[in-house]
Order: sequence, then C-alpha cells, then structure tokens
Amino acid sequence: MDRNKLVKWLKEPAKMGHKYSLHAVYFCTGCGIIEVPPSITARWDAERFGVIPVATPRQANLFLITGYVSVKTLKAIIRTYEQMPEPKFTVGFGSCPINGGMYWDSYNTIKHLDKYIPVDGWIAGCMPRPEAIFVAVTHLWTLIDKEMANGYKKYRAKYRYYRANQEKVLGTLEWPPLFSIEGKDEELVKETA
Amino acid sequence: MKNSLKKQLESAFKNTQIHVPENDRLIINVEKDRVISILKFLKEKGYEHLALVSCVDWIEEKEFEVVYILSAYLQNESEYTEREKINIIVKTRIPRDAPRFVTVIPIFQNSEPYEREIHELFGIHFEGHPRQTPLFLERDYKIPPFRKDFDTRQYVKEVFDTIPIIEDRASEK
Amino acid sequence: MVMRIVEIVVSPIIAFVIGIFLLGLSRKIMARIHWRYGPPITQPVIDIIKLFNQTSMSHGRLFNLGIILSLAGSMVVVLFLPIGKLHPLSGSGGLLVILYLMLFGPLGIALSGGEAANPNTSIGISRTLVLALGYELPLILILLAVMSHYRSISIVEIVRAQQETHWSLLSFPLVVPGIAYLLILPAILGERPFELIKAPQEISSGPMVEYGGKYLALATIQHAFSSFISIALFVNLFLGGSSNPGFFIMKVIVVFVVEVLINAVFPRLRIEQAIRYLWRWPALIAFAGLILVYIFKR
Repeated sequence: MDRNKLVKWLKEPAKMGHKYSLHAVYFCTGCGIIEVPPSITARWDAERFGVIPVATPRQANLFLITGYVSVKTLKAIIRTYEQMPEPKFTVGFGSCPINGGMYWDSYNTIKHLDKYIPVDGWIAGCMPRPEAIFVAVTHLWTLIDKEMANGYKKYRAKYRYYRANQEKVLGTLEWPPLFSIEGKDEELVKETA
Repeated sequence: MKNSLKKQLESAFKNTQIHVPENDRLIINVEKDRVISILKFLKEKGYEHLALVSCVDWIEEKEFEVVYILSAYLQNESEYTEREKINIIVKTRIPRDAPRFVTVIPIFQNSEPYEREIHELFGIHFEGHPRQTPLFLERDYKIPPFRKDFDTRQYVKEVFDTIPIIEDRASEK
Repeated sequence: MVMRIVEIVVSPIIAFVIGIFLLGLSRKIMARIHWRYGPPITQPVIDIIKLFNQTSMSHGRLFNLGIILSLAGSMVVVLFLPIGKLHPLSGSGGLLVILYLMLFGPLGIALSGGEAANPNTSIGISRTLVLALGYELPLILILLAVMSHYRSISIVEIVRAQQETHWSLLSFPLVVPGIAYLLILPAILGERPFELIKAPQEISSGPMVEYGGKYLALATIQHAFSSFISIALFVNLFLGGSSNPGFFIMKVIVVFVVEVLINAVFPRLRIEQAIRYLWRWPALIAFAGLILVYIFKR
C-alpha cells in the first residue's frame, strides 16, 4: 500500500478498522433477499471489500434493510438493531424504506424507516443490483472518514423521540427502553462512552 | 367420470346448482346449512385435499361468499381413471351484517389457519374454531382491512403520515 | 535467566504472528479456490483492530473469565513447543503437559458459553466438548506410540533424534500414527469436515453467538493460537521440526495449505457421524501403530 494509506493507518487505526471490516448481519427483509446472496458469493464478491455476513447481531457492524418493512418486521428490526454493538451503520435498500415505494398506500407497511431507527444512507432502486451495493459500501467509507455516519449517536441522543414513534406504530413495546427517556434534551455528543 | 360424480351429487343433494365451466373444474353453489354434509360427502368420495378456504365481499348484494376448494391426491380407484386432477369449488353465501359461520375443522383439520386469516381480515366469526387470534396484523383496525368499505389511503393518511420525523419533534420542546 | 525471560516473551508473539498470517492465508486460498478474489491477507488484523474498538456486552463474571481462560491456556501451550531453537519451558513435562493444556481452549469457551442465556450456545458447547472427547482418544494413542518409540516425553529430544536420523513420518513404525494424526487434524483445528463448533448457518456461531467487541477479538486470537499449536505439534513430532526457524515456518505453512484444501471441498458432518468416524478408523490405525511400535522395539 502507498504511503498515504500507511500514514492514515498509523494515525487513526480505529476509523480504518471500522471502514475495511464491515460485518453485515444476515437479516433479509422483503424483496431484497434475492439480491444479497449474489453479492456475497463468487461472482460479485463482497469479501474483498471486507463485508461478510455474520449470523448474529452481536458480532455485526452493518445492518442492511433490503425491502419493504411491515409492522411485524419493524418489531424484529428494532430488537436486532438494539442488540448490535456500537458503532453501527444502517443502509436502506430499495425505494420501500425511503418513502413506502410500491406499498405507499398499504395498511400494514411503514412508509419512512427514518422515523423509527436512524439510517445512514439510502440506495435507490427496486431492487438495486449488487454493483449498487458496492457503490453504497464505498460511499459509506467516505462518510465514515468524514465522521458523518452518525446514526448510532443520534439514536442515543434522541432516543425518547424514536421510542415515542415506535410506540405510536406498535402499541406498547415489551422491552424496556435502551437508553433513558427522562431528563433534558441533549445535544449530539461527540464522543460516546 | 365427472358426469358420474355430477350425477351422484345431483341425486344426493337436490336443489343445488352444479356447473362445469371447463374440463377440470366443478362449481357447486349450496345454502349455508348444507355445507358440512356436502363436504363430508365429497371427502368420502376421495376428495381429501382442502386446498384453500377463501372469501369474497359482495358489497352491493350485502353478502359474503365463503369458497372451499377441494381436490384429490391420487387417482387409483376404478372411478378415477383419468390422469388430470379436478378441482371442486364449493360456494356459500352468508349475510354481511351478522357474519357468523361454522368451522369445518371436524372434517378437514387443515382449515384452521385459513379460517383464522378470514376472521382477522374479513371479520367473520367461526363457531367452534379454537384459536381466532390475529395471525398477520399487529395493530387494531376498526373495519377489517379486506372489506371493500375500508379506505386504505385514508387510513395511511391518518396513521402513518401523522407520525412526525425526528427533527420536527425535537424542535417542539 | 534473562535469555529465558526474553524467550518466554518472544515465543508467543511469534506464534501469534504466524497464527494470524495463517488465518488470513486460509481466507485468501479459499477465495481463490472459489474463483474470486478474496480479502487482503491482513484482513484478520483489520478485524481485530475493529473489534477492539467496539463496545460489547458482558453477561457476568464467568462469561469474562471463560474466554480469558481459553486464551491463556492456548498461549501457555506455545511455551512448551519448540519453534526452531526457541523452547523456553520444554524441560518440564513435555508431551504430557501439552496433552492436558491443549484441552483448555475448548473448555474455556464452553465455560463462558454456559453463562450466556442462549440455547444456541448450549448446543454449541455440547458439540465442542463431545468433539474434544472424540479426538482425544486417537490423540492419546498417537502420543503414546511416539513416546514409546523414542523412549522420552520431552519434545526437544524427539526433534533432535529426528534430525540425526530422518523424519518420523518416513520411518517404518511411526508412519502409521503419522497417518492417524493427519486424519484427525481437521477435528483438532475445527475446520471442515468437522466445523460443527462454529456452524454459522445452523446454530448461529455456536458458543460465540453472544460475543461482541473485545470478546470476539480474543476468540479470534485464541483461534489463531490453537491453529498454530496443533500444526506445530504435528511438525515437531512427525516432520522433524528444524532448528532453523525459517524451515519450521515453511513446514507449518505447507501442512496448513493441505488442510485448507481439504476444508474447501468438504461439507459439515453431524456430531454422531463425527464421533463414529473419529473412534473408528483413526483410533484403529493409531492402536495398530502402538502395537507395531511395541513389536519392533524388542
């Protein structure tokens, strides 16, 4: 590798580590379940980007939400997202998490995923091809470099609003709040503990 | 073969309309009191596979139509010499204002999830069904969603579009 | 005295570097077998750096203790194995101590897995311990055969005897236990066809399902160490591990590449099939080797 990269590695190894080793939790929502296995197997190889699927959210870094999200799936997504260790990144695929997509007037799907869990980037398409997944991964690298991939910090700072929105859709939630929902409104903290 | 089955049905059950639209289908319209007996009769004849229980909302006629689709697994007896399977469709009508019906679980045990789905999405109450709890839906709906007078765009406007995005809520305080 | 302390510090570091290199090499070779480019060879290093910078969730004191125990056990075994000329502690105990301490790896992970309240870990732990039971039987017979042939339990003497005459694998009575060791080597490493322990598709990574940030990093390091010690034991006992560390590393890499080629083409066995295999042919061959060694030494 050239000198620039070596210098970057020595100065900020944590950031380079987060970039080049994104472990995706193998949770395939809706229609995008058909686009994830081709991008992991031999033809469009995702392992050269450092992206491998792992079986459990506790070992994962990256959450791909690949398609429409019904209300029942939203429950599972929130539980999985809250189990992942920080720092974690979410990417929404397809047009259904953006604004409802094809199911914009359905009685059982949620229309904007951004209101319930924080999303760092979107990929347009219905479904996007595996090459689009790789473009998204490289964009995510740029965001991590500039420290703009702050979804998890936003979730921690504004958790009471996220939880209020989640309760509006799902009714009372069975799990206790992850962060405290009392107290004053806080700013986004720069450093998480 | 179908003719013999049709003749047997007509002799056993008077006053039913039996109708053969294509080569491999048979449509029977009965009143709701005779559904159980006709399903038992067909099951004894060898049509043991209940493929689907479905429901149609005829809103102008103010009726629900419950539809049972049966077919046979194997055809190796003397009556069933043809190769293709035929589907038998049994239809009944129930009034829309007080939708109650009987369950066919004593005859076909696999009709339990279909009837649960119809109860959840159309609102028909099946008597004798052990578990009429929600199967797919998580929220409560005033009108069951598959009925034709349920306005989905209005529902989406009321429920999903009124949830604020996070920046707006933060600036409320 | 000072040299000994330096050797005690340097020896696990060398084992760690070789182990991490072997892990990266295995991913790259498997990728090339699949006709694709793989990750860079330094990918496990990147993974470990990332994992140490993540928060993690602990389930209690035994959960923390188990993984540390497993890593400590694997690290200590390295001190008893000669790597080229480095053998800090091999004067005391030799093969018998290695046989006991090698079991700390799976045992530690089983201990921490028992504390996590997840049914996947219970299945994973039972599989790990039963598999350890499976390969310990042929392993004990093989080590008995080698110890009886050379009449000593010290690995350093065995290596020296091989360098004077020839490799054990090529000499008559010891070729039989050598073949038996090659047959059980995938089970000790935890690679296919005996990849029951991790099994990501079946039991969501077995005992490692609740391991987050730093625990997963320690588990990866433990995997690197345990791969190294199984292969280094084979090289020392049967391939005459040399006094030149360069040749030693080359032999380790050759054996490991053969292992990866087997790993790439086999599916996964079930636990009862694995035990039936391990206690049948390798055990019989090792037992035959033991009898042959006794006959031919009289």
